[in-house]
Amino acid sequence: MATLLVALVAGAVLFGIGLYGALSQTNLVMIMMGVELMLGAAMVNLVAFWRFLHPAAYSGQMFVLIVMTVMALEMAVGFGVGTARFRSRGSVEMEEAEDLKG
Amino acid sequence: MTVAALTILGPLAALVAILLFRRAPAALALLGAGVEVVSAAVTLVRVAGGANFSAALPGLPGFPLRIVVEPLTAVLAVLVAVVSVLVMVYAVGYMEGARGRVRFFAKMSFFAAMMQTLVVAGDWVLLLAAWELIGLASYLLIGFSHEKGRTGSAATRAFLYTRTADLGLYVAVFVLISRSGTSEISGTFGVGGPAAFAAGILLLLAAAGKSAQVPLQGWLQDAMVAPTPVTAFLHSATLVAAGAILLIRTFPLLSPGVLLVVGLLGGVTAVATGVTAVAERDLKRLLAASTSSQYGFMLLALGAGFPAAALFHLAAHAAMKSALFAGSGIFQRARGSTSFSDLGGSGRERPLVFTAFTVAGLALAAVPPLAGYFSKDAIVAAAYESGYGFVLLPLALAGALLTGAYVARALRLLWRGEKRAEPVAGMRWMWAGLASLTVLAVFVGFLKGALSGLIGEEIPDELVTTVVGTAAAFLGLFLGWTFTADRLLGPLRAAAENGFRLAGGVDALVAKPALALAEAVRVADERGIDGVIFALVRGARDLGERVRALQSGLVHRELALAAGGMALLLVFLAVEAMRGL
Repeated sequence: MATLLVALVAGAVLFGIGLYGALSQTNLVMIMMGVELMLGAAMVNLVAFWRFLHPAAYSGQMFVLIVMTVMALEMAVGFGVGTARFRSRGSVEMEEAEDLKG
Repeated sequence: MTVAALTILGPLAALVAILLFRRAPAALALLGAGVEVVSAAVTLVRVAGGANFSAALPGLPGFPLRIVVEPLTAVLAVLVAVVSVLVMVYAVGYMEGARGRVRFFAKMSFFAAMMQTLVVAGDWVLLLAAWELIGLASYLLIGFSHEKGRTGSAATRAFLYTRTADLGLYVAVFVLISRSGTSEISGTFGVGGPAAFAAGILLLLAAAGKSAQVPLQGWLQDAMVAPTPVTAFLHSATLVAAGAILLIRTFPLLSPGVLLVVGLLGGVTAVATGVTAVAERDLKRLLAASTSSQYGFMLLALGAGFPAAALFHLAAHAAMKSALFAGSGIFQRARGSTSFSDLGGSGRERPLVFTAFTVAGLALAAVPPLAGYFSKDAIVAAAYESGYGFVLLPLALAGALLTGAYVARALRLLWRGEKRAEPVAGMRWMWAGLASLTVLAVFVGFLKGALSGLIGEEIPDELVTTVVGTAAAFLGLFLGWTFTADRLLGPLRAAAENGFRLAGGVDALVAKPALALAEAVRVADERGIDGVIFALVRGARDLGERVRALQSGLVHRELALAAGGMALLLVFLAVEAMRGL
């Protein structure tokens, strides 16, 4: 069981780093990296629970695959917004992005 | 049968041809009217030889469209046809060089065709259809000069007045068909009792609307904005005549009670609109009021129980009134106006036209031996012979006196004044129409015996009423020639010029309440129904504004909120887990 605990602690640490990054950074790329870290932490937890508690069931693996898909989509949309923003304003600083509010 | 159908199909074909070719409209319309008059005459000759016939055409299921050719309808068909062809001849001159001739002659042909349909219709459904289409045709023709200021509202007014009264015909037809089970007009004459009374009163309402009887007379004078041939046609043999024709044709249906109402309404109209005619300051409006008055005479004769006398006067009036309008149209073309103040002396500068006008006018005023003398004499005698002579006879005599007065007044106002001879375009055609109509106005009276024999109804004749009636007519002529309208009528004149608005008239009694109701409904709609909807819309938009204000647009703040929410959730889950342990 100690290995499960290790995996969960690693996931929690990763999540904490990601949360801090997302909240503290002002650059869009950095914020997105934080978000990626949080999602990665969630995936570590999912894999750990599957591997150590229900190795016979496939649902945990499927869930991880879905989260990976969501990550890819989030990256695509986020970087699309970032590129457009950079082209029009020359910066991806989120403190300056208040004008996006309708 | 085919010949009778040609009376309708002739003008109808002219209408189609005019609309298709769009040139030579006058020639086509004249051709159509020619076919109409020849076929009507042939039909009359055949009917006089004893050949009554009727035909059922396929129509609504269970209600075939019937046309009936019998002495009465044949006489009416000839009357309409003759007037329409002569008015058409006159119109060729009147419309020379005018704009919209294609439109004009197409509408006139349509009008004639629909009137012929009404005249020979043998069942209520066809009659109703023709009745409505006549209303439509007259609306189109009254509004012919639509680019002039008040024309549109006059046309609408005429249409609304007659249309409102038409509701009476609808209900009457419904009552008659549901009671008798047939739509054939002659088949519904057997309906008796209260149903017949109600139907009679409703038919009278419809006829009063079309024939401009009190209290629905106001529209006719406004309709004078129409071109003069239209007015001549409208007043003599079509729209206005339709009301009287309806009552003449349904005479067997009218019970004694209804007849009394018909007679009284006719008598009151003959006097009231006669006074209006004396007061008028415009030639065409004077003639319009006179039309109402003369149709009042016809209703009076019907009410007295002599439909043949009414028919006789209808025929005589058709000739006289169309001749008068034809003459007034020439004066109008010469001076560009129909107001007496502009027409002074126009009689002097055209002695021939004025002579024809005078002959027709004297015929209308019942000067022997012109047409109006015979027909009005018959009506006065009818009033004398009826059971209600004590009330109908004074009304008839007063009407005859007023007729003389306004005719003499019109002649005097046309004669006195400066000469200003100016050429008028299309004079030859107009003169041809006027002269033939005037000849008719002189000689129609001599057909009294033939008419009476043909339709098999008595036209009354009394020596005493002839003397009294003629005396009244001459007294009227003398008064009208000698005294001005103000002297004749005194304080009545202002009231008469307003069309005798009792309690404000139709405008105050119908129009204002209707407008007030419309305003109330508008306010209820705007404040009530629209108010609720707009309040909902505004509420939703305000809510949206408020929710929008919550969003800062700063990514980290939104993220912090999300993280905070998640933390709360975690705490909650943790507390739950502790409790479970």
